[in-house]
Amino acid sequence: MKGLRSWQLWAVLGIAAACASVPLYVRNDYLLQVLFRIALFSALGLAWNLVGGYAGQLSLGHVAFFGVGAYGLAIFTDLGVPRWISMLLAAGAATLLAAIIGRIVFRLRGPYFTLATIAAGEVLRLMATNLKITGGAIGLTTPALFSGQLFWKWFYLAAIGLALITLIINYRVSRSRFGYYLMAIREDEETARAVGIDSLRCKLQSLLLSAFLTALAGALYGSAFQFIIPDSVLALDTSVQIAIITMLGGAGTLLGPVIGAVVLLSASELFKNQFKESHLLIYGILIVAVVLFMPEGIVGALQHLFRRRTKPPDVAAGIAPGGRDLSGSGTPRRS
Amino acid sequence: MIAFLQACANGLLTGALYALIGMGLALIFGVQRIVNFAHGAFLMVGMYATFLLFDKLNINPYYGFMAAGVLLFTFGYLLYWVLIKPVQNKSPFMQILMTTGIALILTDGAQLIFGADYHQTNIELINRTLRYGPFSLNAASLLSFGIAGVLIVALTMFVRRNLTGQALRAIAQNPEVAPLMGINVLRIQGLSFALGTGLAGLAGGLLLPALYLFPGVGEDYTTKAFVIVVLGGMGSIEGAALGGLLLGVAESLTSLYVGNQWALVVDFALFLLVLSFKPSGIFGRQRA
Repeated sequence: MKGLRSWQLWAVLGIAAACASVPLYVRNDYLLQVLFRIALFSALGLAWNLVGGYAGQLSLGHVAFFGVGAYGLAIFTDLGVPRWISMLLAAGAATLLAAIIGRIVFRLRGPYFTLATIAAGEVLRLMATNLKITGGAIGLTTPALFSGQLFWKWFYLAAIGLALITLIINYRVSRSRFGYYLMAIREDEETARAVGIDSLRCKLQSLLLSAFLTALAGALYGSAFQFIIPDSVLALDTSVQIAIITMLGGAGTLLGPVIGAVVLLSASELFKNQFKESHLLIYGILIVAVVLFMPEGIVGALQHLFRRRTKPPDVAAGIAPGGRDLSGSGTPRRS
Repeated sequence: MIAFLQACANGLLTGALYALIGMGLALIFGVQRIVNFAHGAFLMVGMYATFLLFDKLNINPYYGFMAAGVLLFTFGYLLYWVLIKPVQNKSPFMQILMTTGIALILTDGAQLIFGADYHQTNIELINRTLRYGPFSLNAASLLSFGIAGVLIVALTMFVRRNLTGQALRAIAQNPEVAPLMGINVLRIQGLSFALGTGLAGLAGGLLLPALYLFPGVGEDYTTKAFVIVVLGGMGSIEGAALGGLLLGVAESLTSLYVGNQWALVVDFALFLLVLSFKPSGIFGRQRA
């Protein structure tokens, strides 16, 4: 996806326009709600992609920012701030939180980093469950960003807009010096530091950006479902879901998170009737299959297929373009 | 003071089971560096196995836990060859994904089969309390503590004395040289993964009487297990035992002085503190 030619840009815009026109012919609330979640999780996956894909830091704590977005919207609005400004304030608060969390967790590597991000998210969930300002386990009602009969339509459009903005940010990052720094850190952090990249700072910046966008999505989600409890907007499952959507589609690619969201959410929606409460079962099966059979995700696997057919292998590849090789090196690194 | 000591005693009772869980993960994560996010799910499977034996065949959980251990050992051994071995030498990223996938399948599979209802295991032992002066201890917890203690000692002896146990530690210390010493690395690693899941099964069985059973019951224990391994120092099985006891006491004291609902927060606080300031673990020696 690195060489995004102008026709590809038009294609993306065309698809976005097609997505935006969906409410013109879909009037079913249930369907719009499903589409809203697909669009929202595309945005979440794309936001996560900045940290987990380009910088290669497997965060399973993104729900913290998601939750702060939702809770922030409710709390700031309750204090008398206009809704849309509360949403931005909430995203600002999440960014601040990311700065604090990032300073702690980015000093850790590999599984320790992932565990620390889980810990951060869980601490927030426990705090929201026990503190008065967040309404405890009962939760809070959220202000409606859109109301009226057609509110799902507007939520859907807002989510599409957010996904598009996040996609553009991903695109800009992937082609910028900053993006290359992140990818260098992903490939080999020691070497990246050796050539003068301030890895802590770069990782932190990617997290701040990601947290801001994730919180916006959280606010939209909280508002759409009208009330929030810690187990809905601060659950570890959501973090896992965001990461898996991106990994399934292809981490470190532009369209991977979108494809992942479409595939996973429609699959889980289709199987919901069979499995009822157990719809995460299908996630589990898909993850295991992806890890075993296409570790670079759907987009990565397609790129391989495509590249093999069309042109001879690129021998002098610097940083591997596009799909990230997640399979790791043959020798395990030991600390 | 009495309240303090009582809380410490209760903490040790829980801590022994934590130790068992932690030692299981230490065998998988500490020794082999397989990032196992499914440990709590294995525990949950052990609990359901023990519960089914109790519910359908009326077998006391304090016998049933052994069956759960055997079941989880076998399950772990098969799982290793089918799903874990392919990711063994890959990045932690892939291992986390794989084991998270396994955990989701087990948890939601359990939900599909057994439903989301809470189950309670009614045995008379659970309502009996032993008193000694001003102190009182739950009989069931005390029995679990005793059994866990025996298992911990047995496992420590196995790892130290037994040839297979020594091979296991040799792989932990240097996986490149171990095969040169004639150790069949794959076999031992499969075995140690199975031992780890087996321990989770045993611990699940022993925990059953004290908890309400539902499919998500194991989730907290995955993170707890990692906290314990990190506290005890990576690669140290004995350290994990101490880490478990320490965590039990820390949680119990937090419940007493701060409030029950904050006990879990202490887990994470301890975890972040240890990782930030003493990554080799409280009981771990600094390794080069």
